[in-house]
Amino acid sequence: MIPPALEIRGLVKTFAAHRAVDGIDLTVHPGTFHGIVGPNGAGKSTTIGMAVGLVTPDSGQIRILGHDALRERGLTRALTGVLPDGLDFPERLTGAELLRYSAGLRGLPRATAADRAAELIDVLGLTKGAGTPLADCSTGTRKKLGLAQALLHAPRLLVLDEPFEAVDPVSAATIRQVLRRFVAGGGTCVLSTHSMLLVEQMCDEVTVIHQGQVVAAGSVAEVAAGSSLEDRFVELVGAEASGSAGLDWLTGAR
Amino acid sequence: MSTQLTAPGQLGGALGAITVPARMRATMLRRSLREHPGPTVAGLVGLLAAAWLIRYAHRGDQHTLGLLAGAWVLGWIVLPLLLGGGRGRVLPAHLRLEPIGGVSAAIGLLAASAIGIGPAVSLMALAALPVHAARYGTVAVLVTAGGAVLLWLLGLIGSAIALEVVGHAGGPAGALLTGVFTGTAMGVAGSLWAVFPWVSVLLVAAPEEVVRAMAYVPSAWPVSAVTGPTGQGVRLMATLVGIVALCAAAYIMLVRRVIAAGAPFRPRRTTAASPATTEREWLGWVPAATRAVVGRELRAWMRHPLRLQYLAFAVVYGALLAGLPLLSDVDLLLPWAGPLAVLGAAAMSAGLVGLDGTALWLPLTTPGGERAEVRGRALAWLVLVTPIGLLLTVAGILLAPDVDPLAALCTLPALLGAGASVPVWVSLLRVRPVADPRHPTAADNPTDIVSVLVATAAGLLAAAPVLALMIWGPPGAALLLPLVGLLGGAAVWWGGVWLADERFARRGTAVLAAAGQRSRPPETVLPLTWEAQWYRENKSTAWALGLLTVGWIPVIPQGLMPLAFGIDSGWIVAGHLSGSTHTAVGLAMVGLGVAMLLTGLVLWDRRPQPGGSAQPAPPG
Repeated sequence: MIPPALEIRGLVKTFAAHRAVDGIDLTVHPGTFHGIVGPNGAGKSTTIGMAVGLVTPDSGQIRILGHDALRERGLTRALTGVLPDGLDFPERLTGAELLRYSAGLRGLPRATAADRAAELIDVLGLTKGAGTPLADCSTGTRKKLGLAQALLHAPRLLVLDEPFEAVDPVSAATIRQVLRRFVAGGGTCVLSTHSMLLVEQMCDEVTVIHQGQVVAAGSVAEVAAGSSLEDRFVELVGAEASGSAGLDWLTGAR
Repeated sequence: MSTQLTAPGQLGGALGAITVPARMRATMLRRSLREHPGPTVAGLVGLLAAAWLIRYAHRGDQHTLGLLAGAWVLGWIVLPLLLGGGRGRVLPAHLRLEPIGGVSAAIGLLAASAIGIGPAVSLMALAALPVHAARYGTVAVLVTAGGAVLLWLLGLIGSAIALEVVGHAGGPAGALLTGVFTGTAMGVAGSLWAVFPWVSVLLVAAPEEVVRAMAYVPSAWPVSAVTGPTGQGVRLMATLVGIVALCAAAYIMLVRRVIAAGAPFRPRRTTAASPATTEREWLGWVPAATRAVVGRELRAWMRHPLRLQYLAFAVVYGALLAGLPLLSDVDLLLPWAGPLAVLGAAAMSAGLVGLDGTALWLPLTTPGGERAEVRGRALAWLVLVTPIGLLLTVAGILLAPDVDPLAALCTLPALLGAGASVPVWVSLLRVRPVADPRHPTAADNPTDIVSVLVATAAGLLAAAPVLALMIWGPPGAALLLPLVGLLGGAAVWWGGVWLADERFARRGTAVLAAAGQRSRPPETVLPLTWEAQWYRENKSTAWALGLLTVGWIPVIPQGLMPLAFGIDSGWIVAGHLSGSTHTAVGLAMVGLGVAMLLTGLVLWDRRPQPGGSAQPAPPG
């Protein structure tokens, strides 16, 4: 039996008095797109950070493609590609140098690294960003470069935090196409996003996190339960879309 | 502010636009004075200096006075870059969204810049020029007073330009300039004993070469204008007016550019990618991952403004500390220029993770990334600093052929070994993140004094066997010195690498979180009375406290006091011994104390974190 691409059980993380992640269970099946959605501060980025080893959990188990992510770090890191929240890079490197550095860190042969980097730069439209110091790159370019470094070593599990944020529509379409080909080839993609439309378009399964807990999980159709995912999401997190009251000075006739 | 500026009738017109930045600055200054004693203390020190300058002007030498006035104006322009004076100032970018023209904005910003302790004290200090000119009559006083105001304007505009261009561009030129300036200031401060006699001569009467040079320095012109022929005076003052006008025009253009273009003065650079296949072939014996980190680090050293600044500081500091004693005909220190620069570079590298630690997620998501990160950082430092240390040492040896260079040459490898690895550990241990890793300014400084002291102490520890053998060793021991230096450097290198590995592998996520932290982490609360329960639950913290408290006893009273000062009172163990046993026991005590202190630091690092977590909450 093929193990889940990502399996999380009883994950807990507390920051001072705030329990950011409160016993999350999550299963991502291999060869699928899995969306993680939730309001701001729900615990999405912390969960993703723990899954890829950037945040130490207080308790819980994380398995990546059948391997214990806390004990077999080297192996699980080799299998995973990460685009974390924050887009922090070695700012003095250019985009091309970032890819070369990333390939070197992972011990890719130079020729292979150069070929793959050139191809990613071409496909993702990063020709200008490749020669510009990261500190001077736009947020969209940084996002695409982050995605390129996550793909460079051909991982089996991609974990992407808000991959389409600040990316222009043309580049977003290209990225979607690249990710679809990645999943069609047997890879697994976990992405956190605020865009329900994106989840409906791309994801096979979705997990809704609210206040550090999973409030719904399953296929997109199951979670949507007959309505649009956006309406269902608002209902699940117990929020009421405000904005219909007040502001008369702004909306009144002039 | 936007509401105020756009509200019709209130501040309509250019005058309103000009006064708003000044009122903003006045508010910022009032708040700053209420919250921090620093500006007030600096103001008092400045007042004392200004009073001294006025007193000196009364009877002092005309050319030396011009030199001192010039140094004052230059300091006014440069010091805010070093001390974070850009904070709390109204900048052109603040007016970007306001309906103000470039000229009005520039005048308003300069009016705002004129409000503060620095400009007020500087105006007082430059009053020294008319005070000096009082001996030449009323007209001379009026002319030099005008000249003093022009110099004051030069400082005001120059400081505004420097903050906008250097402080925000973070470019290599500004960084190097800042490093050279701070290195010079610290080098001179550290060599006061040698500089003082020369300064004494200067204060009595400027030497002939200084007099000749001062003819080209604007700060000397106001007084020269009233002591020479009238035609020359008019020419000098007109030139000074021209320089001020040029600076004002440059500032107006700069402000207009920022407001119109919507971007601060920061050239966007595009760098041609170098071919990967030829890169760092000479590091072929190093694992690929470490080589990748070395490449990244060397690029960062060449491109990051603060790293360049630190490097420039170390080179200038080392060279001046060794070279300035020549002013008093002392050349003994010249071969030590290299070791001193290396020690300075190590000290200045003790906070580098604060500059770029947010990017540590890359090694933390890569197999074996932690080891590569530690070794790559250490190796890159070694690759960069070794040639500098060697060059300065060799230059010193060539300039002082009569001085025995053996000690300096043998100390160099020890300092290089320690300087490469220990600062990596220290900067992983004590992360002080800069506010904006993408665009740090010259005012950012991620290093603290404890980190600097630990990095410096490690160098001294590595060099101690060489120095001990040199001072107390038998006559034939000189042959062993190179080997002892190499072994000392290698031992501390491995120690530093082991500690850094241990830190990053065990607490990598805590380091990453600390690097991205913008607020203070929760403090470990220590009980002020005996609480057995607390000590049972916090054993490592208790041990750390004990070792960090007691560890100094073997180092200072039991080690350094008998070894360096010959103090051998009753409770000092080495005091009951003599000869080489005395030395050996003293050195053993130093070693024991250093080991206790290091263990204490490691245990302190492993103490349980308050709130159950070392990390602040990331978003989401």
